[in-house]
Amino acid sequence: MSGQVASIISEIKTIASNVLERDIQEVRGFSERQVEAIAKQTAIIKKGVENGEIDDDLREFFLDGLEAMTLNFVNTLKGILAVTIEKLWNALIKFIYKAVGAVT
Amino acid sequence: MKALSSPLFYLWLLSFLFFSSCQVTLAPAYDQAIVDKVTVNSELAMRFFAQVDGGTESDTFTLREPIYNQLIGSFESLKLQAKARPVPENAALDKINALLASKGTSPIAGDYPSAFAFDQIAATFAKMKNTDKTQGLKPVVLEAFKGQIEIYLDQAITYEGFLKR
Repeated sequence: MSGQVASIISEIKTIASNVLERDIQEVRGFSERQVEAIAKQTAIIKKGVENGEIDDDLREFFLDGLEAMTLNFVNTLKGILAVTIEKLWNALIKFIYKAVGAVT
Repeated sequence: MKALSSPLFYLWLLSFLFFSSCQVTLAPAYDQAIVDKVTVNSELAMRFFAQVDGGTESDTFTLREPIYNQLIGSFESLKLQAKARPVPENAALDKINALLASKGTSPIAGDYPSAFAFDQIAATFAKMKNTDKTQGLKPVVLEAFKGQIEIYLDQAITYEGFLKR
């Protein structure tokens, strides 16, 4: 019995690690790109406001844009998290039902 | 991460999953047509930025107007396509959100970050079109429009790609 439990725990750990490691790697790449691009965008707007090429109307537009894109960056991460949880959940459910079937 | 090494965590997880439900869907379905359309239109957008690189004058705006219209229309249409997919609502999602709330974390998304991004891309091209028409585009202004569109494109493409389970 304890051998079976240990085996199930080990299998769950493997399934979870496989799903999480792959997804976390992709999320890390996306986050790094976004943070860098948002920082660059901030610098471009600052430069344009300072040299007068970006007028008040465009300044307002780009600042609203910065706020909205940052919010959507977080929402994209949440959306990705939902997909990762779904994949993890379904992989574990599949395994658990298989494991229960195997021991009954 | 510490919890992942605890046998009690796995026992809890096992019971939770077993008694909760079977397979669940927490995010919209992957749509190859949306991914293909984004690919085509992001290429068109980047080619357009390459054409106007260095800035524009308002007196040549009419030459660019059809491309603006095509881009605005395409991204508006992508927004509608992305939103047309049903967002799953189920007990499992409610339970996960309740669990996250109990840990002080905000709930996972039940909406479409890609649809929002497509909408913002269309709005950015509309603003760019209007600016180009009235005063032309100075190099820094052009760079800022391009930066904004690239950021939203990355969000939309990453999210839509992730939906392919």
